[in-house]
This record gives sequence, structure tokens and C-alpha cells, in this order.
Amino acid sequence: MKRLFWVLLILTFSANLSARTIVDLKDPKGDDKGPGTYVYPTDPVYKPGSFDLREFKVKQSGSKVIFKVKIATRITDPWDSKSWGGNGFSLQFVQVYIDSKPKSGHCNGLPGLNVKFKPDSCWEKVVLISPQGKARLMSEIDQKAKTLKKDIVIPIRTRANGMVLTAVVKKSDLGGTPKASWGYQVIMQSNEGYPDSHDLLTRKVNEYPGKHRFGGGSDYDCDPQVLDIFVQPAKGGKDEVQAQYKALKFHCDAKGHGPLVELPMVYPDKIK
Amino acid sequence: MKKALIPLLLLATVPAMAKITNFDFAGRLYTKWLYRNDDSQGLLTYGNPFWPDNMAGDNGVGTEFELKIFGRVSKYVQAYVRVKSRFGELWQDWWENGDMKYPGQVNTSGESMGMNHASYIKLRGFYVRFAPPIPGVDWITVGSSDLGMFNAWTIGKVRFIDRDNGKGWFIDGHIGHSGAFQYNLAIIALPKLYVGPWWSTGIGDPNLDNPFYSQDWAYAAKLNYDTPIGSLTLISDVTNDIEVDMTDPDAVGSLYPDCKDALGHPIPGCSKDHAVDYTSRYFSSNTTFEANLSPLDWLTNDFLVGMAYNRPNTQETANAVADNQGMSPIVYKKTLSYAVRERLYLDDPFDVGLSFKFEYFNIGANWNSIFGARRESDVLLTDGFLDGDQLPTLNLANEFLDFDESFVESCIGWHGGTAILDYDYDAFTMSLEGTFITYNTNGQNRDVDKTYPDFLHSNGYTDTDLFDYADVTDRGRDPRSVYHRNQDRRTWISVLKAKYTFDVLNGFDLGFKGKFIYDKDFRSHKTAADDYTGRILNMKSWLTMNVTDGLVLELGDKVGLWWEANREGTLQQGYHDYTTHKNITYFKLGYQYEGISLAYLFEWVRKKQYRQGMDDQYFNVLRSKATLEVNW
Repeated sequence: MKRLFWVLLILTFSANLSARTIVDLKDPKGDDKGPGTYVYPTDPVYKPGSFDLREFKVKQSGSKVIFKVKIATRITDPWDSKSWGGNGFSLQFVQVYIDSKPKSGHCNGLPGLNVKFKPDSCWEKVVLISPQGKARLMSEIDQKAKTLKKDIVIPIRTRANGMVLTAVVKKSDLGGTPKASWGYQVIMQSNEGYPDSHDLLTRKVNEYPGKHRFGGGSDYDCDPQVLDIFVQPAKGGKDEVQAQYKALKFHCDAKGHGPLVELPMVYPDKIK
Repeated sequence: MKKALIPLLLLATVPAMAKITNFDFAGRLYTKWLYRNDDSQGLLTYGNPFWPDNMAGDNGVGTEFELKIFGRVSKYVQAYVRVKSRFGELWQDWWENGDMKYPGQVNTSGESMGMNHASYIKLRGFYVRFAPPIPGVDWITVGSSDLGMFNAWTIGKVRFIDRDNGKGWFIDGHIGHSGAFQYNLAIIALPKLYVGPWWSTGIGDPNLDNPFYSQDWAYAAKLNYDTPIGSLTLISDVTNDIEVDMTDPDAVGSLYPDCKDALGHPIPGCSKDHAVDYTSRYFSSNTTFEANLSPLDWLTNDFLVGMAYNRPNTQETANAVADNQGMSPIVYKKTLSYAVRERLYLDDPFDVGLSFKFEYFNIGANWNSIFGARRESDVLLTDGFLDGDQLPTLNLANEFLDFDESFVESCIGWHGGTAILDYDYDAFTMSLEGTFITYNTNGQNRDVDKTYPDFLHSNGYTDTDLFDYADVTDRGRDPRSVYHRNQDRRTWISVLKAKYTFDVLNGFDLGFKGKFIYDKDFRSHKTAADDYTGRILNMKSWLTMNVTDGLVLELGDKVGLWWEANREGTLQQGYHDYTTHKNITYFKLGYQYEGISLAYLFEWVRKKQYRQGMDDQYFNVLRSKATLEVNW
């Protein structure tokens, strides 16, 4: 019996070790300011670094694909997500956009982000790494993004451990094994349990911060509701800070009109 | 000219119209159905434990409405208001206006059930926040706060349903240009309910003729320094409940209104001046220093040390330990105590999904966070005895709950350690915990008659599934009962949790949790006849399925097997063994559709309590809770 236990234990850990890393992107610390001006809400649950992306990994393990998103601080669960059917964290909401086919796909981000993707970097699939349970996500998608539903992937498992959010996805849901030649964009947002009627569980960025509103943007919908992204070459260099700020720079006129920003994708196999 | 003035005057009388873009509204409607096979009526399983209320009960349906209004007054000024209807009106009430026209008499007038059944709209919270042009001051908030900027050892966080009850002045700012040094300062109105002896700041205290609570405040400060690898945080608070000095001849109910003693002799220095002096009835202060550092991405060290001071003025407050059956949120004497907690997280250091947590805790026997969190916070890693959290206070809030909500327990005096192994791989997750606790409250002949509150019912493993405040069902220890006359106790806790997600149909989770507690208390050293041994086994298994988009079904079963030797009794009359078998079968439904949220829980509880020397007890309870909620 004892021997069987150890065999099972070793097999289990070795299975974990055998997962193959396909993508490993880095992001600089301290750039969780969107276009450089965004600030966190003022309520103390939003601890510094809570929305600061640091690393993104894609691993393949059998018929599953594992996404790991590391942030700059330990992930907490101040709103007791288990009590509302959630996944063990409360604040973060990460959307992983995947460009698996050239010159095709959806060019608009999901509702609530106020972003588009560059015409040559549109997406085929988006994986939602959310603290919300599957039922809530499905309901929100049916309500606010029904036309995109078949390309929105809800992981079979989502969890938080330390500084890392992990999502386990069926390979078939992504349309195949992820490749380094695919494009990836990881968008950091904040989970809003009581979102605006058009926002898919995203927290608003306003001109000035509120207790539960980001500040530094616009009160209208011309600013990207995005805290952090990855930019090429995604090695975590300081130059990527300014590249991100530039990518997310927005223009709003006095009436709150302006073009949506166009986000780039990161193509790992093009990183030198 | 006159003609020109008239429109101008009319304009001047029209109030300024606020721009609707400056408003942000949020509404919520919440309805709850609560049913059980008993004869109580009300909308809340556990209501107010100390005074009879006519809202708590197990059968009823009622609705509440909430409206939040956020205003942007200007760039630097924000305002917030939350109004909410009182929860407690049954749909069958049909009409109640809040009167109790015929107290004590049954009638159908619609003026009989009082405000609990009136669904009146109340101002629940408000604040004005502004960013003043003062260097180093970021925001000043005047009004409501959940006090979440401090910690559970000092002040807050206030439980969610009370999140706007605390009012005060709050200043948030920074020192220097880097932003690394931040501070929070607060002056908070002490709640007349709960912070102080007798769970009050004077009202209800037998020693006071004229409880004076309008100048009772708490003062708190937090200093935080962000280093490149983490933060250093110092938090300190003071609560001061003051009362009128009853020796002042100007005070209502003064002992010396004529400045003469009982024998009619003038009291030196005593004179009326149409002003009253104050004195402190209860004073407390808690301070913590916390270093939360992550020198490596996978390694976090969280060290906390604190001190707690408690000083009741025995002239100004009666002794609740002696006069209230040992029910008191404070130790009735001046105390100074300490707390140390060292926590280490090793988050997947080998990148194989294996993580470790270690914790050492040592909380002094006299520690008490009188204004700290009362629930919905947790200061220890362990799963503990109950399924809820551990908090270092006698002021726990296990009230205003439904049967499906967990209980918190006091960890005052706990000294020990916890090791937890977490494993995550693919769709499998597992956690294994081992905890050992001994108690700084161990001792012989502790004075639980006049000094240390024992909360009356202090023996046996607590049954929070079938709890009742007055302990008419023999439900075990009060979760606040940390002091005993004779105690020499140690506890071992082991917990195994595992969950696997099957990739079949829409996916389903299969979960298991098992907890075994070995609890040994030698009680009095004079005899072995009173030694308590508790072997507590609780298990839960469940299956969660995503049936369709938006519909989740959970089926589960909980089993409790408790063997308790010498659980209850006295040295004089002997102790009795208990054996408890409990089984709860349940199913849950959750449904989300286009913004509507429905939830349903049904439980069938069977419990057999075999009591040596007493009648056995059998419970057969069917109960359910359903909710419907919309937010817009």
C-alpha cells in the first residue's frame, strides 16, 4: 500500500513535469497603468501589483492546455469567491486572445474593454481567466457577446496559487495545439461582479478613481479599459513599458468620442 | 427693467439641475424564501441572540431593495449614498406601517408588527470624498467606511452587511515623492452596539443611569512602506468609551448633586459650574507590525507581531462576567497581551504544482481585538474546528446568518503551528493540512466567576448545523468560549481536501473533504475523571455539474461522527460521554439568465446524539433556502 502511494505520487509529479512549455512571455514590473496614466481604485482591497502582469506561459499536457499568468503580488480573495461559486480569487480578470489563423478572426475585443486588434492581428479564440464560475460567465456571454460565443473559451478549471493564475483548457476548444507561431495577447482587467449593462464583467476606468473604479482614463467609452498587456518582444525589458503606453494611448474629444485603440499581438516565434 | 427682472428672479428660484452624467446609479432587488419543518416564522435562521426580535425564524419569504448613488460633484469631489429597505417584512404581512399599536396583542390591523416588518427605506451609508490641495494628502473621506484599510487584529474589516455602518473621518495620503510611504488616519464613531463591556458603549450597563455615547470614538493610524520585495505595515488603534463623571454635581444622576457626602458634609473642591467632567468607561488599544516580504517569486514571508491593551473602568461598568452569566466581550480587568504570527508561503517552487504553507502562531491569553473583524476575515491558515474562520476576538458575530453560512471561532490563546501541502495539476487539486494547537489559556482555577467570561456553555464540539443561542439543543461549545476554570488542552487537526474536474458533458467536479480532530483536555489536575477526549470526524463529498449554460447543480453529502469522552458534566456529579452521528444530504441549484440570478439549497439533516446518563436526541430537519436577485 505504501509503495503504491509513492508510485502514484511520483507518477503524478512526473506528469506535471512532462508538460511542455510552448510559450513563455515576460512583462516588465510596474507598468500596470494602461497607457501610463491609470491608477488603481482607492479601496484597500486593490493592493499594489494586483493587476501587474509579469509572465505568461502556455503549456501542453496531453489533451489539455495550461495557461499560467503570473502577476506582481500574491493573489488574494477579499470577496470570498467560494461563497458565490467562484474560483478562489476575486479581483483579477484576464482575457487571453489568440490569433491562430492569419488574416482572419474577430478584430474587436470583448464588450467592456473598448479595444480593437490590429487588422493583421485579429483573434480566433479568447480564453477567459475569471474568478466567476462557469454559469455566471455563460450567462454574461449569452447576454452581451452572443455572436462571439463559439470562440470564447471557458477553462475547465481556473485557480489561483501564490502569484499565479492557472487555467486548464481543452486543446480541442482552442482548435488545436497552441503554437509559437500563433499570436497571443493577455489583457489584464478587474473582475466586476456588478458590471455595466454592456460590459462583460469588467471594471470601469474613469477620469478620476473611485473606491471601485480605476482612474486616469475617461468617463466616456473612448479609453481602453485595460490595465496591462504584453508587447513585443515580451522579454520584460524596460523599453516595453513605453511601448505598452504607446499602444494603449487614446484620444477622446470633449464629447467623449474617439477611435478605439488597436492592440498588437505577440508572436513568440518572431521574438529574436 | 422690471419685466427683465422677473425672469431673472424666477431663474434664481429654480434649483440648479445636476447633470445626469455626474450620477452613477446601481439598484438591487433581493428576495429570499426560507423554509423548514418547524413552526418558527421569519426570514433569518439566526437573528439577534440577546433580545427577542420578530424577524428571525425559519419560514417566510421577503424582499429588499437597495439603491446606490455615486455622484461626481467635481473633479476632486465624490459623493455616495446607499438607501435600502429594511429586510424582515414577509409577503404575507401584506401591509405593515411600522407601528406596534397594540403591543403584546395579536391583531391584523397592519399596525402591529413594528418596524422589522415595515420595509421602510433607510439611509444605510454615505460619504463625501475629496482630494484637497494639500501636499501629501490624497483623499479625505467623511462618512461611511468598511474600515478595510486596517486589519482584523486592530480595526475592521466590518462585515459586508454592515459595511456602511461605520462613520468617521478618513485621511489617506503619502509621504515623499516616491509614493512608497503611505498613511491612513481615521477617527471613527464607536458603535454604541458592541465595542465595550456589555456589547455596548454604555447603553444597558446596569452601572449607568445616563449612558453617554455621543462622544465615543476610535482613533486609528496605519503607516505602510513599500520595499522592492514587499511591505512593512504598522497599525495602531485606540478606542475610548467615555461617560459622565458621576461625582460631578452637574451630571444627571450625580452621586453628589449638592456637593455633600452621605453624611451631609461638604465635599472639598466640589462646586457646580454648569459643565460636566468625563471619565473613561472602557479603553482599548491594539497595535500590529507586519512585514510581508517576497524575496523570491515563489517565496513569501509574512511576519506579524502585536500587542493588545484592555482597560475597563470597574466604577463605570458593571461586571458582566459575574452579572451576565459569563457572557462578556471583554476580560473584566486591565490586561496587556501579545500576538505573534509567522507565515511562510512556498508557491510551487519546483514548478510541478506543489506548494507549501507553514505557520507558527502564538496569541496571548488576554489578547482581544474588540473593534477587529467579527466575521468574514481569517487570521490563521488552519481550517480550524469549524468550517469558518478564526478571529482573535471575543466579539465574534455569529448572528444575522442563515443556516448555510459558516460560523467563526475565537482563536484567543491559541499557540501552535500549521503545515499545508497543496497540489495542483491539470484538473486535479488537493490540499493536506496538519495543525497542532496548545493553549495559552490553559491553567488551573482561572477566575471565570468575576474576571474571565466563559460564555456559559463551554464544553463539547460545536454543532453549527443545528445551533441555537440558548443551547436548548445541547449544541456544544460557544465559539467564543476560550476560558475555562480548569483547562489543560491540546488539539491535533488533520484535513484532506481533493477535487477533480471531469471533462465529460459540460464538465463536472467531484470533491471530497475530510477532517479529523483529536482534542484532549485534562481539565482539572486534581482528578482524571474529568479528562475530555474528543475524536471528531467530519466528511463531505459532492458532485457539481454544469447542466446547461447558466445552470449549475450540486449534490452532496456530509457525515459527522463524533466520539466525545467526558464531554459534559461537573466534578461533583460526574461527566458524560457523547456519541454523535450526523448526516446531511443536500442539493443546490444555481441559475443565471440575462442578469437574473436564482439559487436554491435543500438540506435533509439527520442527527443522533447518544448521551450517557441522559435522554438521547434525534433531529430530523428538512430545510431550504432560495434566493432571486437582480442588479442593474
